[in-house]
Amino acid sequence: MIKTEVYEQALFETIKRGATGISPDVKDAFIRAIEKESHADAKKGLQATLKSMEMSKTRENPLCVDTGWPIFYFKVGNNCELEGGFVELENAARRAVARATELGYLRATMKHPLTGYDPGNNIGMNIPDFTYQFVDGDAIEMSYAAKGGGSECFGGTRHRIVAFADGIKGIEKFVIDSFVQSARAGAVCPPSVLGIGIGGTANVAANLAKEAACLRTVGSKHPDPMFAKIEEDLYEAINSLGIGILGAGGDTSVLAVNVEYAYTHIAGIACATSTNCMVARRASTRIDASGAVTKMTSPNWFGDR
Amino acid sequence: MAEYHLQGPLTDEDVVKLKIGDTVYISGECFTCRSRLQKYIFDENNVLPFDTKDRNILIHNGPIVIKENGKWKLVSFMPTSSIRFEKWGAKSVSEWNLKMIVGKTTMGAETAKMMKEKKCVHVSPRSVSPNLWIDSIEVEDVYLYDELGRIEAAWFFKLSDIGPFIVDIDCEGNNYFDQLDGKIEERKQAALKELGIDESFEFTKLY
Repeated sequence: MIKTEVYEQALFETIKRGATGISPDVKDAFIRAIEKESHADAKKGLQATLKSMEMSKTRENPLCVDTGWPIFYFKVGNNCELEGGFVELENAARRAVARATELGYLRATMKHPLTGYDPGNNIGMNIPDFTYQFVDGDAIEMSYAAKGGGSECFGGTRHRIVAFADGIKGIEKFVIDSFVQSARAGAVCPPSVLGIGIGGTANVAANLAKEAACLRTVGSKHPDPMFAKIEEDLYEAINSLGIGILGAGGDTSVLAVNVEYAYTHIAGIACATSTNCMVARRASTRIDASGAVTKMTSPNWFGDR
Repeated sequence: MAEYHLQGPLTDEDVVKLKIGDTVYISGECFTCRSRLQKYIFDENNVLPFDTKDRNILIHNGPIVIKENGKWKLVSFMPTSSIRFEKWGAKSVSEWNLKMIVGKTTMGAETAKMMKEKKCVHVSPRSVSPNLWIDSIEVEDVYLYDELGRIEAAWFFKLSDIGPFIVDIDCEGNNYFDQLDGKIEERKQAALKELGIDESFEFTKLY
């Protein structure tokens, strides 16, 4: 059985690492973007952003002043045993968020939607958010993603039901139109990691899009060639637009385009987008049944990608 | 495109020479503001508890500031999306006599119109690089901390050559991003064509 103090400390360390450290795959994508950037100002902007993100690791301060919505993903072994059970896991996650806020790794950003009341610790009704996936085994993998206000509030998250009559063309047009609108003047903090959910009900498509944006390894491909082609086509198409870093012009507008899908109803294809901002904050940790804690370089939410 | 290193408080002369696409670095006194502050002043009928005459640069930002050994310490700082306070943009420019707004996403036509009338510019960051800035920002004071909270309070900062920022609305009412929109739209049509989606494509209207 995994002790409460072990998973609580691991949760805290995961939040801190996600808020203050650039993921290796995002760093590689930045290096590639800097190499190919032909606009001098955009190149400087990408270099300055990467330099600042690397400084955050040493300074132990947030990658960006907006530390986002606190969101947890738990990939849980069917035989995983936690002291206090899953209710205590969520309580521990709330305590870890509050502690990370108190110590300045997170900004106190979450507030009441109507009164504006700020609890000062990022804890409130339905926040943090928790998502579970069940697999064989007795370990737990915990991912923390901090979805930024810019990437979430300015049109990066959208949904449309596309008719089967419009098919892939309809999906691709919806995605490109949405992205252009949302990246205008840098609103969603491009270059983005663009997640796309295809199929399911609207909320399933939206969740898939968010997970594709926040949890896929940047640079990975969907294993199904049909979806990999959509990823590649949209990556090329969007990067040909010249939106660039913070929308001011440049060669890289998306760091990645990741598609995930679900079967859908004969009536139509739910299609959703979710952009993650360029800092793409996340971190993941695995705890084995023995209590051994391992830092993961990628969330492993989608297994091979 | 020219590059300027400006010292606040800014004069009309400082800002009228700025053209869209120019690069600026900023020094001097400024204050932070998020839309909660404008709502508090303009909708909830409170009086701004400080003078903006010698502090006429508004930075749209909710910084992370902590207290360390009895002194305020800036942990992180990044200008954010100004379009959120478009509702009070023109009023902020005219009543607070602003000469510069630092923020993201540019602003709308009403604010740009007032900027032209009052001589004020909007500038946007070129990077997300708080660590390259925070050592050059001194936290001087804070107002409305109890009323609006730590993030949405008005912080007084003293900046030392912070930048680069791109001028996206100038005193003539020109908008850098409006001009870029046209080019992006052209490239979008070409990209859609490449994917086999021509201009005649229309979505089947399901709702």
